Amino acid sequence: MTEATVTPLQEASFPAAVLGRRGMERLDLLLLTVESLDFNGGEAMLWATQQLGFESLFPNRVELWKRRCHNPLRRSTRRGRLGSAETEALIRLLCAMADRLYPMLHQLLSSREPADLSKQRWALVDQRLRDLIAERFNLRRGAVQRLLSTDHSESIQRQLVLTLALAAGPGGVDRLRASLLDPTP
Amino acid sequence: MISMLKLSYRYDQTAARLEVDGLPDFSSGHGDSVIGILSAWRLQLVGAPELEGKRDHLEALMAVVFPYARHQISGVSRPEGWSHHPVSIRPVDGGHQLELTSSQPDVPPLEIKLDDADLADLLRCLDALCSDDRVAIPWPEIINHPLSRRELVERVPLVRRLAAPVFGGVALVVVGVMAMVVPLPSQENKAPTDSVEAPSTDPVSDPSQADPSR
Repeated sequence: MTEATVTPLQEASFPAAVLGRRGMERLDLLLLTVESLDFNGGEAMLWATQQLGFESLFPNRVELWKRRCHNPLRRSTRRGRLGSAETEALIRLLCAMADRLYPMLHQLLSSREPADLSKQRWALVDQRLRDLIAERFNLRRGAVQRLLSTDHSESIQRQLVLTLALAAGPGGVDRLRASLLDPTP
Repeated sequence: MISMLKLSYRYDQTAARLEVDGLPDFSSGHGDSVIGILSAWRLQLVGAPELEGKRDHLEALMAVVFPYARHQISGVSRPEGWSHHPVSIRPVDGGHQLELTSSQPDVPPLEIKLDDADLADLLRCLDALCSDDRVAIPWPEIINHPLSRRELVERVPLVRRLAAPVFGGVALVVVGVMAMVVPLPSQENKAPTDSVEAPSTDPVSDPSQADPSR
């Protein structure tokens, strides 16, 4: 059943991307950023999986959550690596969500927006992302503490939003995939 | 007749608008509504003069913007095409600077400052053009590779990268100097004891001999 549905992705000559630990952390964190930008992000993701034809890979939100739990920073993490078809589906899902949220990403990144308004928008994103991280990630991990530290969180969040903006839409899939396959420095 | 066949397509974003004009290439079997020969393009970026040119210039723009965005997505700010390209882009204080060098000798290069949102808009316009089925032009292939470990290391500021080895080296030197300054334990104390003990080592010829001290 799974193989039959995986075939179209592989036939489309997409490179098989099996992410390492760092890549999986980034992918899940980017999906979490999407959720912090969109109150109904969880529902929207499920809807987007159906629109993109991934309903057999992620038939429900539990299956989607289980794939995202391959992120080692999660409270309830799963061992092993995520398969290439599921990874590709998550990357495409993320790019589709970023495309949907692009006007908001543009507002956040634009220097032409009023400074006060921009500051308030970033503060909202910061608060929501912190809440989501505290709820789902293992707070004893050093990497998670760094995400929440006031010294680093601002630059990390800006880089996450910029990554989403540059990966938005079908054109960003290839860029994002290559970026997630970067080696650990 | 030609003006009737002229096609024009536009790609809009909030801060960027790209328009391409061209003609169908019937010799390649394209339809009436497909641009096969690009005759001109125009790019409007908010707060900058309109750019226009031929296909070569558009390809030069793509050749620097796509790799630059690829590096940016990994958090690496690296100039693209700075020395040898008619178009170049480089990071400047919190933004990006696009520089276009004219082929005319006396025309100074045009510099356009972009923020992150402008860069994303420009990228989306170029993405939309490249993936548009109505424009059947073989653009240069852009292959996105994972960055090398060296490129990723460079995103860490030099001071932070050097801090650990410098600290280690300094600590080693300090320990070495201290080891040289601190005097070694003197051997002179032992020598007299040896000399004192030496005469007292009268051989006991007979273990059964009575001890005179008793």
